[in-house]
Amino acid sequence: MDFTFSPEHQALRRMIREFAENEVAPLAAEIDREHRVPIETMRKLGEIGLLGVCFPQEYGGMGAGETGYCILMEELGRICTSTATNVGAHIGIGAMAIYLDGNEEQKRKYLTPLARGEKIAAFGLTEANAGSDAANIRTRAVREGDSWILDGGKVFITNGGYADIVTVLAVTDPALGPRGGITAFIVETQWEGFKVAREEDKMGIRGTSTAELVFEELRVPHENVLGKVGEGFVTFMKALDMGRLTLGAACLGGAQAALEWAIRWAKTRNQFGVALAHKQSVQWMIANMATEIEALRSLVYRVAWLVDTGRPFSQLAAMCKMYGSEVASRAIDMALQIHGGLGVTRDFPIERAFRDARIAEIFEGTNEIQRIVIAANIFRQHGVRIRP
Amino acid sequence: MRVIVLMGRVLDPRGIVVNRRRGRIFVNVEEYIIQPADRCALEVALRVKDATGAEVVALPRGPLPDDDVLRQALATGADRAIYLTADKPYDDGAWTKVLVAAVERLGGADLILTGATTLDTGQGQLGPRLAEALGWPQVVDAWSAEVADGKVRAVLHRGGEYVAVEANLPAVVTVQPGAVKPRYPDGVRLINVYRGVGEVAEALETWPVADLVEVESLKPLLERRGQDFPPERERSVRLTGTVEEMARAAADALRERL
Repeated sequence: MDFTFSPEHQALRRMIREFAENEVAPLAAEIDREHRVPIETMRKLGEIGLLGVCFPQEYGGMGAGETGYCILMEELGRICTSTATNVGAHIGIGAMAIYLDGNEEQKRKYLTPLARGEKIAAFGLTEANAGSDAANIRTRAVREGDSWILDGGKVFITNGGYADIVTVLAVTDPALGPRGGITAFIVETQWEGFKVAREEDKMGIRGTSTAELVFEELRVPHENVLGKVGEGFVTFMKALDMGRLTLGAACLGGAQAALEWAIRWAKTRNQFGVALAHKQSVQWMIANMATEIEALRSLVYRVAWLVDTGRPFSQLAAMCKMYGSEVASRAIDMALQIHGGLGVTRDFPIERAFRDARIAEIFEGTNEIQRIVIAANIFRQHGVRIRP
Repeated sequence: MRVIVLMGRVLDPRGIVVNRRRGRIFVNVEEYIIQPADRCALEVALRVKDATGAEVVALPRGPLPDDDVLRQALATGADRAIYLTADKPYDDGAWTKVLVAAVERLGGADLILTGATTLDTGQGQLGPRLAEALGWPQVVDAWSAEVADGKVRAVLHRGGEYVAVEANLPAVVTVQPGAVKPRYPDGVRLINVYRGVGEVAEALETWPVADLVEVESLKPLLERRGQDFPPERERSVRLTGTVEEMARAAADALRERL
């Protein structure tokens, strides 16, 4: 057993940390305040290759594997949750679906510019009536000669407001349902019939775009069917598995940042004549945070290793997302408590972190769904098939 | 045209805590970074490359325990890197002889760049010593440098003013830390150079110092007799009085320090 990172991953972390501290940190408060997507950061990340971190070099990627991708998300999550979310929606689910099930031509045409950050991806799954119940989507795709005509819409699509390419899940055979009746499509947002209907105004991750998309007689050429007709639901669930792991990594970064803030404050803030660090109540919070963060770190990078070595990881990716989001929420909550009243002011980044953290327990599959996935996997190993 | 950059490493100061009372430095995280001034020198070299198509070759500014700094130089855009392996530490005086031999083995160079100072030991001798040994002109403490018409033009930042100087090539230029914003490595080159695959990995060569010079002739200039901390500096002064009085006191204090 070897817990050390390879030299290339250590060098990658140094590079990303420097980028995050120099390029991402100065914008973090501003994009939150102005509700603005830092598109310039995405371009800069693309220029130095980081948006293709986990994709093969033949498609414009870096070839640093899932471990490299987790390092990217951890380091970005440590500095700015919004930027990490933009990157996660772009690489982790949007482009990932094309990487996992796209054919050679689709990967050359779409994955390469996505890996270089010349184009931005989004992942179109959720609908107004199909959130946790993802198989219940209503967007319809009907074959017409060499094309498919899409009608319907998506909600809560991260990057939706400014993406160039959206992978969209639509019903192609209502009789078959998720097994055989749902197909994934690669949609270019410049096509006629694609419309951004609305931008959500959110409590947290305000440096991200969460958009409602509408498709009206959107014509998609047949060559843009992602994977096989009727098997799109599987493609999307596979992409989500990858996304869940790296969301856990971003939460690890967020929790780590909260711990660092808490330590700094506990060292400098004096009450009753001593620094807070000497108060046992504060020590216990720091000890709890640090322990949970270490446990999460071990989980995240073990699952990354499972992915990179081709082992099954689905159940553990669900644990990463669920545990990661809860560890981050708890750590940020405790760090805020240590900061006292100042923690809720905009003078401290902890206030933004507190608002940003909450969504991680909801998106990419609510934590309730993650628990269902984990439990269903456990019971399946014991011969029980859970009934929905 | 060939530009040589001399680069070294330093313990990342963010990983250490200094305890003055006990006279000790505690290393929490042992991580090394490129000497900040050397990294600026690399950036200046890469800008010369962008402008003229020069070949950039990275060499160690002193004995290094590993080739990490050179790999980072390659990832950031250097065309070649030569890891000069030494079996014991040499100071700048002895290392100058090694570098002169290395420059000769390379077939000469038009410009040699390095940091004007090191973050840890504050050494600024390497550039001037090397220029003297080669018989080349030297520009020390440059804030920027560019190459045109067989000359290097540099701007120095001295005592609150900028001074433009130029020297005929070949020349040695030392670059101030913080002079330029260094670029980030390229992701693909970074992964490949550390994995040891592709062209970028083949651009890293290893030359043993013993093949370049008679090791017995490398005599140190300095002898280390111990270490101590510099005396503690006065940290701050609390000003009192009316706003005008405090402003005057602050202005006087600033004037005194200029």
